[in-house]
Amino acid sequence: MRCFTAFVLFAALLPAQNVQTATLANGMKVIVQEDHNIPNVALYFFYKIGSRNERPGITGISHFFEHMMFNGAKKYGPKQFDNEMEKAGGNNNAYTTRDETVYTDWFPSSALQLMFDMEADRIRDLALEPKMVASERGVVYSERRSSVDNNNRGILYEQLQAAAYTAHPYHWPVLGWPSDIEAWTQQDLKDYFAIGYAPNNCTMVVVGDVTMARVMDLAKKYIEPIPSHDPPPPVRTKEPEQLGERRLTVKKAAQLPIQMVAYHVPEARNPDSIVLDVLTTVLSRGQSSRLYKRMVDEEPLALSVNGGAQDSLDPTLLIFTIQPRNGVDPAKTERVLYEELERLQNAEIPARELQKAKNQLLTEHYSEMKTIAGRANLLGTFEVMRGDYMKAFTIDKDYEAVTAADVQRVAKKYLTEKNRTVATLIPEGKSK
Amino acid sequence: MKTLLVLLAAGCLFGQAKLPPYTKETLPNGAVIAMMPRSGVPLVHFRVLIKGGVESDPADKAGLANVTAGLLRRGTKSRSAEQFAEELDFLGGTFQAAFDGPLGSATAISSEFLSKDFDKGLDLLSDAVLHPAFTESEVHKELARRIDGAKAIKDNAQGSIGSYFRASFFGRAHPYGNPPDERSYSRIASIDIREYHAKHYCGKNMLIVVTGDFDPSIAKAKLAQAFGGAPTVEAYTWKAVPPLARKGQLLLIDKPDATQTYFQIAQPGIDMKNPDRTTLEIINTLFGGRFTSMLNDELRVNSGLTYGAASQLEQNRLPGAILISTYTKTDTTTQAIDLALDVLRRLNEKGISAQQLASAKAYVKGTYPTRRLETMDQLAALIGEIELYGLGRDEVDGYFARIDNITLDQANAAIRKYYKTGDLTFVVLGAADKIREQMKKYDPHATEVSIKTTGWGN
Repeated sequence: MRCFTAFVLFAALLPAQNVQTATLANGMKVIVQEDHNIPNVALYFFYKIGSRNERPGITGISHFFEHMMFNGAKKYGPKQFDNEMEKAGGNNNAYTTRDETVYTDWFPSSALQLMFDMEADRIRDLALEPKMVASERGVVYSERRSSVDNNNRGILYEQLQAAAYTAHPYHWPVLGWPSDIEAWTQQDLKDYFAIGYAPNNCTMVVVGDVTMARVMDLAKKYIEPIPSHDPPPPVRTKEPEQLGERRLTVKKAAQLPIQMVAYHVPEARNPDSIVLDVLTTVLSRGQSSRLYKRMVDEEPLALSVNGGAQDSLDPTLLIFTIQPRNGVDPAKTERVLYEELERLQNAEIPARELQKAKNQLLTEHYSEMKTIAGRANLLGTFEVMRGDYMKAFTIDKDYEAVTAADVQRVAKKYLTEKNRTVATLIPEGKSK
Repeated sequence: MKTLLVLLAAGCLFGQAKLPPYTKETLPNGAVIAMMPRSGVPLVHFRVLIKGGVESDPADKAGLANVTAGLLRRGTKSRSAEQFAEELDFLGGTFQAAFDGPLGSATAISSEFLSKDFDKGLDLLSDAVLHPAFTESEVHKELARRIDGAKAIKDNAQGSIGSYFRASFFGRAHPYGNPPDERSYSRIASIDIREYHAKHYCGKNMLIVVTGDFDPSIAKAKLAQAFGGAPTVEAYTWKAVPPLARKGQLLLIDKPDATQTYFQIAQPGIDMKNPDRTTLEIINTLFGGRFTSMLNDELRVNSGLTYGAASQLEQNRLPGAILISTYTKTDTTTQAIDLALDVLRRLNEKGISAQQLASAKAYVKGTYPTRRLETMDQLAALIGEIELYGLGRDEVDGYFARIDNITLDQANAAIRKYYKTGDLTFVVLGAADKIREQMKKYDPHATEVSIKTTGWGN
């Protein structure tokens, strides 16, 4: 039945045949999906450089760079990228993760040529004006204050990562440590641009009201002449195996505590990552999930509980985040979480529950494809993280292949005490 | 083939937006069913609107309408909450029930399924909407969770400043100025929820919108069957509301550990039928509605004071606010507030240029398809607004023409009329010890409340 579902959906929603690819002479890969539903285009650039390519002293520079890419190049000076784009009816954003920096443009198809001209300008000739660098430092600091310093989940997550990773660059936050945000120099920025922004280190994804021919004409004219050069050096450091549970606390003014329990798990390309998706769905997606039923519904222990692992190039963390109820000791929610994890280790999940999780994952995957922006993001993310955008069209088969025994096996393999880091935010002034 | 698709689907030919056709039918019990079949994506989206929303909350039981909505899926006459959740999740379906936006004058129940699951999805949805059980144990659990949730939201400055603002700007007697808190939730009893449901979830208050890939000739009878049983009691009628509570006052919320000050500055705006609406959308885009807006340009790009500064033009059934929002580190609080006020003053005094007007028009039109016309849920929301508030198809079909017709003189006249510099309401959340004295220049009689105090400073 699920195969049928998947077939119907993918056949109608997103025929992979609509996707065409090419590689420019300078090494940039181009992925295009024509879709004329609305007269708009999503143009995404995925640079394979993120905080994992940084080192102590320049942490957060990938993210800062993302900001500087909007602050002027050779042909289009400061503010012009945004001004010209908005004047043409488009808007944009960008985001930085541990593994990549992604530039996202949404605009009417009439602005396609302008966008290629402006994107090429900033990839080739970013200006890095000292005055703009100074003011953007303040902006990034403000972003950090909002998402970390004044955000209890943000600060706990940062501390958790720092404790769970001792050697690998996932140890430091994408936004960077405050002292590095203050200290990086003009030269650091120039060096970083030279390392990360090679066209051969980038994948372009175009979805929407375009034709492959038109995209390639423009790509050849504007992007292809930009010379390729060495991509960032490989990240050598591997996180050593964790040898025992790590625990940390953050004390902070708060109404309620927060708890995060993390386990080291493999990167997105490892076949176990799909099994772990099924596992976390069984545990925490929807009101029928095991942890929701147990902790939020049946027993008044938590306001919310979520689990998941971020797609990544290197081994990552599967994190359960729990918001305990008022007056509930986090030790209690932690114990109940372990009981549910043990249940998964001790017995195979029933067939219908497994099928439910697969159906949930698949419909969520489809819902990410409803918009041109969602599809551009998905195709690029699959290309970078899983090595092939086509995997976005075959993931139904990967889900289908997961068995109850697989789920039990990965639960036993990864969800162990030795492999665990527990972070708890304790409201200041309260004993626990 | 491609051209035809563009015509049917996108509806943005010749620079005009066009709403795809939909049918509308009223059942004998008064419920209205609107259907927009769209081939392509094998999904079906249901959106049930129940008239009333935030306006129907009793003054002393704020949150009642949303609590009722939250409980719809927590057990029905024929399914336990657990069964409902299991069936829904097995289909990979979605189900959300809450106000249609924070100031929504309707409760919206949205549900999406694969087209092949139309019947099962409709059965689940209509069962929740029409036959909720409201058992004592589920009511108790829901209220207890909400009470803790009202506490937890205070740990998030950005999440809670909006409630302080609403209480301060609209005042408690106004439906928009009475956000729920621990006290209002604790006054709600099961009987209130049952009575609310019996009174409001009736045919005459109900609009059912269906968009997506389905056969309307078959769906029509099924929808009539599913919702024809809704009771035929009196329709909800909009109540008169009091004028805005306060003008020209400042509320300071003390969060001693804050390293950043969050603030909002507001003045009276418009409702969604105001004739100046489209003109103000264009003006607000320039003032604080996009990245290159005057506010973001000054407070972020030029000065690095903040990660973002924006202004919002609220458009609801009742007049809302024109609302500046931003944040900055504690020691630049007054610098940022003064700069925001300066940007407002410059807009008021100098108006906008022809070039700015043209840019904003292009921006609002260019982003419109992805904002409102791309997905089934967007289209269902649009139909809901059009029908519930009597806006007419022209809401979409005439939109680009209304934008094109705005002249520079009209825009500048609207700026003078709405973007004023006096009688502003300020809501400031931060470390009070460090900013209290400085706030007096905006209001010598500023009031102060601790974030730990229950409620929203009201």
